[in-house]
Amino acid sequence: MDIGEAHGILDVAQSAFISIDQDGVIVFWNIRAEEMFGLAREQAIGRSLAETIIPERYREAHRAGLRSAARMGQGPVINKRLELAAMRPGGGEFPIEITISALVQEAGWSFHAFILDISERHAAERAREQQLGELQLALRGTEERLAVIVNTLAEAVTIRAPDDRLIYANRAALDRLGMASIEELRAADPVALMEPYETVGADGREIRMEDLPSVRVLRGEEPEPLMLHSVHRRTGEEQWTLLKANAVRDAEGSIEAAVTIIEDVTTAQRTSLRAEFLARAGQVLASSLDYQQTLRNVAGLAVPQIADWCAVDLFDEERGREPVAVAHVDPDRLGMAERLRTYEPEQLDPDQGLGLVWRTGSPALFSDISDEMLVGAAVDEVYLELLRAVGMRSALIVPMKVRGRTIGTLTLVTADSRRVLDAGDVEFAEQIADRAALAVESARLYRGRAEIARTLQSSLLPEELPEVPGWEIAALYRPAGQESEVGGDFYDVWQVGSDWLMMIGDVTGKGVGAAAVTSLVRHTAWAAAEFDARPAEILARVDAALKRRPSLPVCTALSLRISMAHGTLACGGHPRLLHLGERGVREIGHHGTLLGAFPRVSWPEATFNMNPGETLVAITDGVTDTLGAENERFGTERLKETLAQARSESPAAISEHLLEALQSFQVGAQADDTAVVIMRFTGAPSEQQTPPRTSVGNLGV
Amino acid sequence: MIDAAPFEIASELNAETARLSLLGELDLASAPQLERSVGEALAQGAAEILIDLSRLSFIDSSGLRLFILLNDRAGADGWTLALTRPPEPSRAVFQITGAEENLPFIEEAPSA
Repeated sequence: MDIGEAHGILDVAQSAFISIDQDGVIVFWNIRAEEMFGLAREQAIGRSLAETIIPERYREAHRAGLRSAARMGQGPVINKRLELAAMRPGGGEFPIEITISALVQEAGWSFHAFILDISERHAAERAREQQLGELQLALRGTEERLAVIVNTLAEAVTIRAPDDRLIYANRAALDRLGMASIEELRAADPVALMEPYETVGADGREIRMEDLPSVRVLRGEEPEPLMLHSVHRRTGEEQWTLLKANAVRDAEGSIEAAVTIIEDVTTAQRTSLRAEFLARAGQVLASSLDYQQTLRNVAGLAVPQIADWCAVDLFDEERGREPVAVAHVDPDRLGMAERLRTYEPEQLDPDQGLGLVWRTGSPALFSDISDEMLVGAAVDEVYLELLRAVGMRSALIVPMKVRGRTIGTLTLVTADSRRVLDAGDVEFAEQIADRAALAVESARLYRGRAEIARTLQSSLLPEELPEVPGWEIAALYRPAGQESEVGGDFYDVWQVGSDWLMMIGDVTGKGVGAAAVTSLVRHTAWAAAEFDARPAEILARVDAALKRRPSLPVCTALSLRISMAHGTLACGGHPRLLHLGERGVREIGHHGTLLGAFPRVSWPEATFNMNPGETLVAITDGVTDTLGAENERFGTERLKETLAQARSESPAAISEHLLEALQSFQVGAQADDTAVVIMRFTGAPSEQQTPPRTSVGNLGV
Repeated sequence: MIDAAPFEIASELNAETARLSLLGELDLASAPQLERSVGEALAQGAAEILIDLSRLSFIDSSGLRLFILLNDRAGADGWTLALTRPPEPSRAVFQITGAEENLPFIEEAPSA
């Protein structure tokens, strides 16, 4: 292929292609070259290459290179890919990539070059470089800013090296650790850094070096954030901190260091602990009417979160002191605290200690108890020795006030924890004391009400169940709600002639009003039975008596008459009677109208016979309505199953079994009264007056 | 402390008829809420109170007593009370107490 043919092909090449002779005159110029340099072939051919496309400053070098290449057919630029600058004849430089080859012919050497315009590539590279530069600049800025930010953070930040030493700490961390500089920190023994503090976790457990999140991170663990409670041994300053640690890994993924962020959550933690404490104290205070027990529970709650020990004293009208409760964080030291308290006078001294607080009604705070103070307070050597042994740091006495009257004091003491009680603690302790005072006062009032309620309630239930010949009877009664309220459930068993009547019922409502209705129902039933002892008739009389009352009292009742093995019953809006026999548990009786409620009434009677060993169970709806988990009710089916399990037991054992089942089913507080009467037919006693309890026979059945 | 069982009332008043739809459990704790709702509907001029019990899952004696009380008041004060039938197991309470024959239950076409 000669050069002419080659030129034909080169015209369609993607690169510019230029040929020159050994004098540097252009002999070929392809179409892409025309485009690249903006010069037509006719104009280009015959011109000196140097003057056409080479920037002036390179022309001399070009000419020198060309001269030497023309002699030897080689040079530093031949057969290499080079990046050079080119120019357009109209002006303007641009970067090119050029590959030059040399050919020798009879006319001498010629040189041929493929040329690519790499302006775009260059521009992209320059842009990249610029970006990189900017990024580096930006990063440098960030680094500086980061350092500034980390240093001004309220949170302390530390970095721990794999050998457990701290290698970096921001300003907050340095301050916290009592270090002047990072250098000092680096030199410090990591264990020694923890020594000035009494450090425990949120659960009160002591925290050691190996428990710290950063140390655990360095061991390859992924620890949860750790809540720390630390008290400076010397200053008594208390702090709650939250430690979160993360691993810093190198390119290979191994752990280089652990970064810890230490957040001071003292305020938040104190607030939340106090709120939690008050909520729990509220529950404790409301949970029992035994205020002495209640105050003991409150004292128990106060340690260790509020103080190392806590004592409660109540005062009577004559300045007499009743020590009610004392709790100590360390049970072994409880005795010491109690011995110390025996030194408090039985009679309050209005000028000091508890007496002063009682007289003034103002709290007394001893933030920093000195040995001189102990000496001043000690009445004898033993007392002083005791005071010193306790190692009191701070003490706080707050009055327990009800309507302006101080009925007792709450004493908080810190010792081993070295925590200093401050004004914030006073306010908090006053809140606790106020609640405790109220609880004591309500309990005292309540005790009176509860006593009345108990008396009233007991007047509505038989003191003890009578002995019914041929039958064993047991009853279960669980009033719901407050002790001071009278329940609306009742039952009774009484004799009319040679027969026995049993009645169980549920008066809607609670309290004294319901008690009055219950009393009315029982007396009406007794009177009615004397007149006509048929169960339906008794219910009718009760219904009529209730309807005469203006307050619309409503009552459900089951009336049962037994004549040895024979029974008759009627229900007034009441759950039916359950029969426990050989064939399981079944409901007997017909439904009848609720008592005291409706104009249209009917109480159909049902009759049945008993076999020895069979049992009747009458309930109120408190049993089946007992609420369990997920709003499920105990229900009739569960009741039947429960009774079937204890079918052949004694009434007392069945009652026990049922109570256990109800208690284990029940979720939350009991909502409704529960009454159950269980009657087991043991068999008719013989005509010869066999004592009823021992008769287990088949006579007359 | 008694945990409140779930109970809600949806009230709508059209002309002189108030419709109170009960959802959940009517007991000692929730009965006062229904009593208040009825009182409010009457105060707003309702002459007929329709209490929809189709989603009443539980009723105890306090709830039942409230219906008896409302029925008596309606008779005395000259307004109309109507109840729709509840599903089991609350229906059984109305049946075993005779309340079904004595309270103004109506048969209602399924609501549109």
